[in-house]
Formats: sequence, C-alpha cells, structure tokens
Amino acid sequence: MTMTNVQPHTTLANAPLGRAVRITRLHHPRKEIATRLRELGMCENALIRCVLRGNGNMICEVQNMRIGLDNRLAGSIMVTAPEEAGTA
Amino acid sequence: MTPPAAGSRTGLFRTVRKHPAGALKARTVALVGNPNCGKTTLFNALTGLRQRVGNYPGVTVEKKEGRLALQDGIQCTLIDLPGTYSLLASAPDEQIATDILLGRASHTARPDLVVCVVDACNIERSLYLVSQLLDRSVPLVIALNMVDAAERNGITVRLRVLERELGVRVVPTVASKRRGVEELKRVIGQGAGAAGKSRQWRLPEPVQRECDELIGLLDEHHQLKGPDAFDEAAALLATDTADLERMVRYDPVLRDHVRRDHQRLEFLGVDRRSVFVEARYQWIRTLCAEAVSQEPRNGDTLTHRIDRIVTHRVWGIVIFAGIMALLFQSIFTWAALPMAWIHDGFDALSLLLTRIIPPGDLRNLLVRGALGGVAAVVTFLPQIILLFLFIGVLEDSGYMARAAFIMDRVMGRVGLHGKSFIPLLSSFACAIPGIMATRTIENSKDRLATMLVAPLMSCSARLPVYTLLIAAFIPARSVLGIFTAAGLTLLSMYGLGLFAALGMAWLFKKTFLKSSVPVFLMELPEYKIPSIRSVLVQVAERAYSFLHRAGTIILGASILLWFLASYPRMDGALPAERLQHSYAGLAGRFIEPVIRPLGFDWKVGIGLVSSLLQREMFVSTMGTIYNIDNANDEGGQASLRDRMNSDRDPATGLPTFTALTAVCLMVYYVLAMQCLSTVAVMRRETNSWRWPAFQIAYMSALAYGVTFVVYRAGLWLGLGG
Ligand SMILES: Nc1nc2c(ncn2[C@@H]2O[C@H](COP(=O)(O)OP(=O)(O)OP(=O)(O)O)[C@@H](O)[C@H]2O)c(=O)[nH]1
Ligand SMILES: [Mg+2]
Repeated sequence: MTMTNVQPHTTLANAPLGRAVRITRLHHPRKEIATRLRELGMCENALIRCVLRGNGNMICEVQNMRIGLDNRLAGSIMVTAPEEAGTA
Repeated sequence: MTPPAAGSRTGLFRTVRKHPAGALKARTVALVGNPNCGKTTLFNALTGLRQRVGNYPGVTVEKKEGRLALQDGIQCTLIDLPGTYSLLASAPDEQIATDILLGRASHTARPDLVVCVVDACNIERSLYLVSQLLDRSVPLVIALNMVDAAERNGITVRLRVLERELGVRVVPTVASKRRGVEELKRVIGQGAGAAGKSRQWRLPEPVQRECDELIGLLDEHHQLKGPDAFDEAAALLATDTADLERMVRYDPVLRDHVRRDHQRLEFLGVDRRSVFVEARYQWIRTLCAEAVSQEPRNGDTLTHRIDRIVTHRVWGIVIFAGIMALLFQSIFTWAALPMAWIHDGFDALSLLLTRIIPPGDLRNLLVRGALGGVAAVVTFLPQIILLFLFIGVLEDSGYMARAAFIMDRVMGRVGLHGKSFIPLLSSFACAIPGIMATRTIENSKDRLATMLVAPLMSCSARLPVYTLLIAAFIPARSVLGIFTAAGLTLLSMYGLGLFAALGMAWLFKKTFLKSSVPVFLMELPEYKIPSIRSVLVQVAERAYSFLHRAGTIILGASILLWFLASYPRMDGALPAERLQHSYAGLAGRFIEPVIRPLGFDWKVGIGLVSSLLQREMFVSTMGTIYNIDNANDEGGQASLRDRMNSDRDPATGLPTFTALTAVCLMVYYVLAMQCLSTVAVMRRETNSWRWPAFQIAYMSALAYGVTFVVYRAGLWLGLGG
C-alpha cells in the first residue's frame, strides 16, 4: 500500500478512508475538547484510521475502539502519513 | 526528579485505611472505570442486584449502592459509579464519579478500596484512568473485564507483567458470565488494595522542573500539597497564557511565574497543552508493548460490516425508520392475543364477583369501580412488555450509540448533538430515565434543552391511551400489506412527539439557551447479541412496576372515582344522567367550557382531570365511568371501546367520541405534561422549581394550541361527524 496520496499535513476530515494516519496536532479552539480527545487516546503521535463516513460525521478507529465524531471536530485534528511523522 | 507529593511515595498514604476490628462502619468499595466496560454488570454479579446495563456508554448516571458479602462473612458497601475516561470530569455524570473517588462528595465518604474495571479489549485507554488513580495513591484492585471478548479478538494480556508494573492486583473477569467474580471477592476481602506504584510516567526534563517549582509555590502561597498540587500545576502550565489574567484566585507572584514558565517552554518548543497526556500515554504504550499482544486482524470485523449498512448515509435512516415502524406495528399485532386473554380473564372475574356478591353498592364498587378501572389498565400489559423488550434489545445490542450517530445531523439542525438523541430515545420508555440520561451531556445549556423536551417523547404511560382510542376509533384497514392504519396512527403519534421535541429544542436553543456549536464525540461499542437474561430482567422490572401501580394508585383512584361518579344518589334517573349529576360529572362539566374548543365534552373532562398526575389514569377513568354508565347489570361484557364508541350525550344526543375527538385527544396527550413524577425529577435535576414550572407551562400551552388547531382543521375538513 502506498502513502503517496496522503498530504503531508491534512486534517482527519480529509484523511483517506481505511488508512492509518498519525495525529500531529489538535487545535480545537475549546481547550476542554482538545483535552477530551487526548484522553480518549486521540493524542499527538497516536495512530488513527477513518473507517466510515456518515452524514456530516465519521467513524474512526483509535487503539481498539471505534469513535464517532463530527466533521467539524475532525477538521481540527491535523494528521500526517506515518512516515512523515518522524520529522514532526 | 522530585515526586509530586513526598508523602505518597514514602508509603505514608499507601496502606489501606483499616477500620478497627468490629467497627460499626462497613468498608466502602467503589467500582470505577471507563464507560461501558461492564461496571454495572460486575456490580450486579457481586451484589445480586439488578441495576440497568446496556451496551452503550452512559447507562449508569448516578451512584448506586449495594451490599457485598465477602467470603469470611464480612459485609461491605459496594458503590457502582457512572463511567469516566479520566479524573478530569467534563459531564455531570463523570463529575459524580470523580467527586466520590476523590472524596469531594459531601454525602459519600471516600471509598476505602477502589476496584477499577478495565476493558481487556481496550487496555491502553483504560490505563489512562488507572495511571491517574495510581498518582493519587488510591487503594486499588484491577478487574480485567471482558477477557472473553479480548480472547475472541486475539488479544493476550500478561497479567503478571501488569501486576508487576502497576503494583496492584489484577483479577481477570467475565462479568456477564460471572467468571472471576469469586476470585475478585477474595481479593477484595484480603484488603489487597495496595496504592500501587505512583507516577511512573516521566515528563520531559524542563517540564518536570517547571512543575516542581510551581508545586513549591502552590504550597507556599495556597497551602496546596500532594497530588492536588501536581494537578493544579499541570493545569496552570497547560492553560492559555491569556487566561491567566482572569485567574485572580491565584497569587500574583504565582501568576507571574507561570507566565514566564509558558514563555520558557514555548521557547524550548514544548507543546504545553499536550505534554501531560502525551507523557502518560508514552508510558502506557511502553507498558502495553510488554504486557499486551494482539494478533493482526485479517479482514473486516463484524461490527464494521454491520456499521457499513446501519450507519450508511441513506440506509441508516431508512433502517432506523423501519425499526420504529416495526416496533409500533408489532405492538398492535403481537399484543392483540394476550390482551384478549387478559380481557377475558377480567370478564370472568367480574362475572364471578357479580354472582357471589348480592346486588348493591358493594358489588357496584368492587365490580364497576375497582375492577373496571384496574382491568382497563392491566389489559395493556402485553403492549408495555413488548415495548420494553424492543427497547432492551436496542440498548443491549449496541444500536443506541448508532442511533445517536445517525441522528447527529438532524440534531445538529436544532442546535444539539447526536448524544442528546439517546435521552430522547430512552424517553420512549419513560421520561424519567430520559431526563436522568442527560447527565452525559457536557454543555449545561444543551443538557437543559434536552431535559425540557424529553417529556414530549411518547412514554409507555401514553401507550394505553393511544391504543384504547385507536382500537375504538381508527379502522383496522391494512396499508402497504404489512402495516395497518392503527399501527401507522400510533407511529404518527410517536412521530408527532419527536417532531415537537425537536421543534421546541430548536426554539429554546435559538433563544434563551444559545451556546457554542455542539461537538459530537462518542465511543461506538462493538455489537453483540443482547443478553437475554439482562433484557428479561429489565422487562420484568418494568412489568412489575406497571402492575404495582395498577394495584395501588390506580386501584385506589378507581375506588375514589367510583364514589365521585356514583354520588350524590339520584334514584330513578337513567345511569347516564346519574353520572352527569354526580360529583365527578360536576367536575367534568365545570371544566367543560375550557375544553369545549378542543372538541372534548364533560366526560372526557373527567378523564383529563383524573389523569393530571399520571397519564394511564385516563384509561382507568374511562373504564370506571363507562362501567357505572352501563345499564346492563350483568358484568362488563361489552368491551370498553365498544361502549365508548356507541356513547352519546344524553342531553344533545351527539356522540361523545368521534374519530376526530379521538385524534384530538391523542394529540393532547402527546403534548401535555400530565406526569407528577417527571415534575419531581426535573425539580431534582435542575435544583429549582423554575424549570419544571416553565416546562408545565409551555407544554400545556402547546398541547392546548395544537389540539385546538387540529380540531378546527378537522371540522373544516368535515371530519366532525
Ligand atoms: N463479552 C462480555 N460482555 C460484557 C462483560 N461484562 C459486561 N458485558 C457487557 O457489556 C455491556 C456494558 O455493560 P455495563 O455493565 O452496562 O457497563 P458499564 O460499565 O456499567 O457502563 P456505563 O454505566 O455506561 O458506564 C453490556 O452489554 C454487558 O452485557 C464481559 O465480561 N464480557
Ligand atoms: Mg453502568
């Protein structure tokens, strides 16, 4: 599987379906929401995979769990293909 | 590196606080853990109680207590708590859990031992909470639950490694099959709550240094020590520099110091916001690399395959609507036969009573008053059972969380998020658990909006009212082969309730409950086959409470109503006239001018008044007054619905009920408050009379207004006859 079409830095909302990406940065304006995301395992450097897209929201897999989140929230999660993560 | 709290490491706080032998106060043991990891299932297995379980996060929203008998005859108090992901609570239900854990709750003492339930399929995330508990030197035992599911998913956990690294006992359990429960009891009995190894995770060197300095300052200026000081320091370092200005509760010296810390860390390129969580997870990952191994998965999981269909953009909604339609249709078709049996049973009973009791007031009171009212309500038991069976299956399969996911878009339109849909769905059973379930909503305005509209969802108490009226006045024509007009009418009543709830929520969120855009973030559990036992236990509980109400409140009210409807005596008058001139009739006629514009006459008025506090009472009232009304002295052969159908006003000769009145009545019951228990819960949850009063006011106005419009429109369309 090639990673060529994962932009070096994109948001989770635009991440390709079914492929693991690495979270580089959370920049939600509300701090408590960023904290909640981190506590749920969606912290910087974690691997995440978007598996399904719904109506304005999506399902992701982090560790072994499935998490539903809306696209606006996913838009505040910056991700990158796993190889590029080393430089971040 | 200096430890956050000297005491916690030197062992001062490590030992379990032991009560002197024979002390009166029993030890309290608390169950904590992430949402949906099986805490309540374990609680039930340990105590033999039957608290609600379900396969979605946020089932338990309040503290529950039970007795735990340990092997050597020692009794403990076991507390089941709402799930939480961390000790930094963000929703009211999590707040309850963390307050009790940290000994901040006024009514509950800090637990002597904490059993942290860890989901074996999700160890990394669960260990986040565990590490927070370890930092606070909480006496801890870990129940590694769902090891069966972990095995199925190819996950192996090395218990010894976990025990060694955490310094606490780890007991594998399968709570749903009671496996490991005895062993857990034994470990609890040994008081094996070691406080474990605290603070094993390491912060990057500069952050730790700043932290230590801050802890020193917090102690100096605010007398804050131990883990509290560490948490406070961490929060101060992670906060926005601009926010410091407003944190006037801190000493200016301290704030200045924090400001300089922020600059230093920024200069070093440290992300202050993420470093604390990140450092914890770093440690967890290292630990899990040694303690947990997982076989690589090949192919899609069953859950994923189901989700592909069930949460599909189009099919998801279609499936949801289909499930609802099936529910309401089956309530009619499947319940018909057992309802007929119950009806026949009561008929036989009333016939028997008529035979053995001599004619007179006593016979009338028993057969017509008491039995008539109770029978009218109890007949609906099969429908109630079916409804709860359906809800139980939805809750325990994992579908509830998906319903929230699918409805997120719709809820977003009215300014709420998908999570608010779960309390609304629960309100199909009863508004009380629905209102309680709003405790999982973080934003207090969103939560209030959801609570305010939850009673608009049609609860099980309305079901008898709907079905009585539908059975009597809506023809049983079949529609599209599988549905009937009756089933569809019922569906539209539930639809109207949902529509009204969403509309009002939109209005509230647009006006006095404005808040920032809601954020949808929710864990979606794996699907599983619902546990027959736990579903049946819940159905039995509901059925029992329904029968209990019928046998107590409704029985009492029916007897009272019989007196009110039979006195003052008017010998020689026709039964219908007697009722009209009785006390009940008087009351009905008193409010008739108010309800006349809705198409209701005084007889309906009696029902409306008596059901003010409880909705099913409408049905028992009809059962009682139509029994008294019945000229035929030989028991209740004609069914209630036939009698209602053929009833005419003695004065005007007009039918009391028409199809239009029936529809208007149903609409009224969809929208009106008519439930004392809901008012009480609203009062408790909002801690004021203001919101329940507002709720009664707006719902009454809505009910009156909409019913009026429906009645007028119906008359205009010529449906009045
Ligand atoms: N396979 C499996 N399922 C379990 C086990 N323990 C509990 N469950 C199921 O997991 C689901 C959640 O159980 P609950 O006891 O309601 O979980 P909880 O932790 O109390 O959840 P909240 O109250 O929402 O925080 C239910 O469907 C249980 O039947 C277990 O050991 N193995
Ligand atoms: Mg629970």
